[in-house]
Amino acid sequence: MIGSKRKSSDIIIEICAFALAVIVVFPVIYCIFAAFKTHSEFMSPALLPESFGNLNNFRNALSQAPLMRYMLNSFIVSFAGSLVRLVFSVLAAYVFAYFDFRGKNVVFFLLLGTMMMPGDILLSTNYSTVSHLGLLNTYTGICIVSFVSASQVFMLRQKFMTVPRSYIDSAKLDGCSDIGIVTKILIPISRSTLITLFTQSFLTLWNSYLWPLIITASKPEYRTIMVGITKLNSWEDSNYELVLAGVTISLIPSLILFVIMHNSFKKAQ
Amino acid sequence: MKKTLTAIIALLLSVLMLASCGAASGNTSSETQPSEPEQSTELGSTDVTITFWHSASDQAGVIMDEIVKSFNETNGKNITVNAVYQGQYSDATSLLQTMLSAKNYSDLPDIMQTDATGKVPYYNSGRALTIDDALSRGLIDSAYVGNFIPAALSNWKFSNVQLGVPFATSTTVTFYNKTLIDSMGWDHIPESLTDLTAIYNADPSIEKAALQAIPNTPSLANWLGQDGSYLVDQNNGTEGNATKLECIDNGALEKFLTVWKELYESGALLNEDTSKDTFIAGNIPFLITSSSNTAAIVSATEESFETGAMGMLKVDDSSAAGATVSGSCIVLFDSGDDLKIKASAEFLKYLTSDDVQAKFASGTGYIPGTYSSVDSAEYQKVIEEHPQYKAAYEQLMSTPENMKSVTVGPSADFYYAIIDSVSGMLSNNASVEDTVAGMNDQLTLLLEEYARNNS
Repeated sequence: MIGSKRKSSDIIIEICAFALAVIVVFPVIYCIFAAFKTHSEFMSPALLPESFGNLNNFRNALSQAPLMRYMLNSFIVSFAGSLVRLVFSVLAAYVFAYFDFRGKNVVFFLLLGTMMMPGDILLSTNYSTVSHLGLLNTYTGICIVSFVSASQVFMLRQKFMTVPRSYIDSAKLDGCSDIGIVTKILIPISRSTLITLFTQSFLTLWNSYLWPLIITASKPEYRTIMVGITKLNSWEDSNYELVLAGVTISLIPSLILFVIMHNSFKKAQ
Repeated sequence: MKKTLTAIIALLLSVLMLASCGAASGNTSSETQPSEPEQSTELGSTDVTITFWHSASDQAGVIMDEIVKSFNETNGKNITVNAVYQGQYSDATSLLQTMLSAKNYSDLPDIMQTDATGKVPYYNSGRALTIDDALSRGLIDSAYVGNFIPAALSNWKFSNVQLGVPFATSTTVTFYNKTLIDSMGWDHIPESLTDLTAIYNADPSIEKAALQAIPNTPSLANWLGQDGSYLVDQNNGTEGNATKLECIDNGALEKFLTVWKELYESGALLNEDTSKDTFIAGNIPFLITSSSNTAAIVSATEESFETGAMGMLKVDDSSAAGATVSGSCIVLFDSGDDLKIKASAEFLKYLTSDDVQAKFASGTGYIPGTYSSVDSAEYQKVIEEHPQYKAAYEQLMSTPENMKSVTVGPSADFYYAIIDSVSGMLSNNASVEDTVAGMNDQLTLLLEEYARNNS
C-alpha cells in the first residue's frame, strides 16, 4: 500500500519534472532546428527543417561577424572572470564565516546590500573607474567588475558555516595556516558548491552584453559573442534564422560546460 | 591540486595583466578640451585614421563595410576609416552618454551614425561639430547642404541647429496585400482609418482584422501631425526641451483616440504590436511600418502575393497625407585635431555622395537623402523594378516641412507610456476622456522629471 502510494506520487513528480524539462529545453531545441531552416521555412509553423544539411545560416553568420574570435573573447572573459570571482569569494566567505572582528556584521550586510543595486545604475561609475585605471578595451576591463560577487560570498559563507568548527580548530592545533584550512579542508568539502557557482558565473558572464559593448568601444576585436550576435539582426530586416544560427554557435561552449559539470551540479543541490 | 590551482590562477592573472598593458597603451582617460586648430594641415600630406561609429547590422552592415572599404581604397588622401559597429542605435547612444558622463573624450569617435535617440546627447556633448559649424569653417559648402531633400534634412535640426545630414532616410508607409484584399471583395484600397471602420461596420461578416498595431511615439506623432497638431510643445521638441503635451487643448489626441477606438470596435484592428511576419505570412492585409523595411518585405512576399505600398493611412478623409521622417544621420565630432576633422568631412561627403546613397537605399529600402541620388540611374532602376519603393519617396516629398518627429529626453519611457495607455484603453474598455487625461498626466510628469533631473 505504502509502496503503491510512493509509486503514484513518484509518477506525478516525474510527469511534472518532464513537463518542466520540456518547457525549459524546448526553446533551445527550437533554436537549433530553426538555425537549419531557410527564410521561407522559418515562416511556416513546422518545427523541423526540411534538411539538416542546410548550413547557409551558419556560413552567413560566420561571414557577417567574426563569431569565432568573439567566442574566444567570451571564453577568456567568462573563464577568467569566474575563476577570479571564485577565489575572492572563497577568501571573503572564509573571513565572514570564521573570523571575529569589530563591525563584521555591518560589513557583511553592506556587502549583501550591493545585491539590491541593478547593474545598469553602476554602468556610468564603473565605466569612469575602469577608464581612469586605463583598462578600457582590455580583457581585464571587461572582467574586473565581475571579480567580486556578493551572492557568491553569501552562499559560500553559508556553506562554510555547515563545516563543523572542530575541523577548523583541530587543523589550527596541528599548525595549519588559514590558506591551508581553505585549500585542504574547505575547498575539498565544498567542491560541488564551488563548481556550481563557477558554472553559474560562467554562464552569466557569457551572456553579458552591454558592459562588454561599452568597454570595448575602440577595439571591437575584444568584443564578446553576445555583441556579435546583434550584428546579425537589424531593424530593417529580421533574419531570425540567421540570429538563431549565431545563438546556436554561441550555445556550444555553454552546453559542453554543462555536460562536463552536470554531475557536480546535481550533487550540490 | 593546490599547486595546480595556484599555477592556473597565477597564469590567468598574468595573461590578463599583460593583455591589459598591451591593449591599454595609448589609451588614457584624458579630459583634454578640443583646442583651436593650431595650423591647418592639408589632407594627403600625411596618413590620418579616423574612427567611425555606426549601427548598420545584418545586410545593411555588409553594405556599410563595403562602402568603408571602398573609401579607404579610393580616397587618395591617405585617409583610413576605422569603422566600428556599436550595436543598435540606442546602444551607441548609451555608449556616447556613458563616455560623456565619464568625461572620456579621447575615445569619442570622429564621425558617427545616429538616430533620433542620439540627437539630444550629441547636442549637449560639448564636442559636437555641427553642420552649421562645418559650414562656417569651410569644411562643406552651401551647395552641398542645398542638395539634401528639405524634409529629410530638417529632421536633424535641434534648437535651430543643423546637427547632421541624413544618411538613411525613412518614413512610415502602409504596405498592403492586394491579393488578399481582392479576395475579400473590397472595391477599393482604404486610405484612412475611418474608411476601414466604415467597411467593417458595413459588413460584420468579415472575420480577418485589417490591421495589427499599437500606436507609439512616432506613429502617434504622425497621426496627430496629419491633423495639424504636435504631440509635445516646442514643435515636437525640435526647438528646445518639450515641457507639455500640445495635443490636449486642440482636441487632436481625443479625436485620434476616438477614431482608434471605433476602428477596434468594428473588428478591423488587432490591439497587438505590429508584426511584419504576420503580414508576410499573408494573415493580415495591412502593415504600417517604416519604409526601411521595403526591401525585406518585397523580397519576402514576391513569391506569395502581390504587395502594394502607399502613404501612411490617414486618420480620416479631412486629414492631410504624410508622415514624419526618421532614419539615421551622420554627425561630426570636434576632436581638436584639424587633420582628423578634415578627413571626417571628406568621409561625410563620400557617405552622402550619389553612388553611396543610391547603393545603400537600393540594398535596404531607405530613401536617398539628396535630390541627385534620387535621380541617379541606379535608384531609378530600383523604382522601376519595384514600384513599392516609390511610395516612401512620394510621401517624403509631399509631407509638410512643419511635420516633425518627436524629440524628448525620456524617449524610451515616453514610447512605452504611449503604448501602454492606448493599448490599455482598448483592452480595459476605458473611455477616451479618461485615457486623454491619464496620458496627459503621465507624459507631462515624464517631461517634468527629465527637466528636473537634467537642470
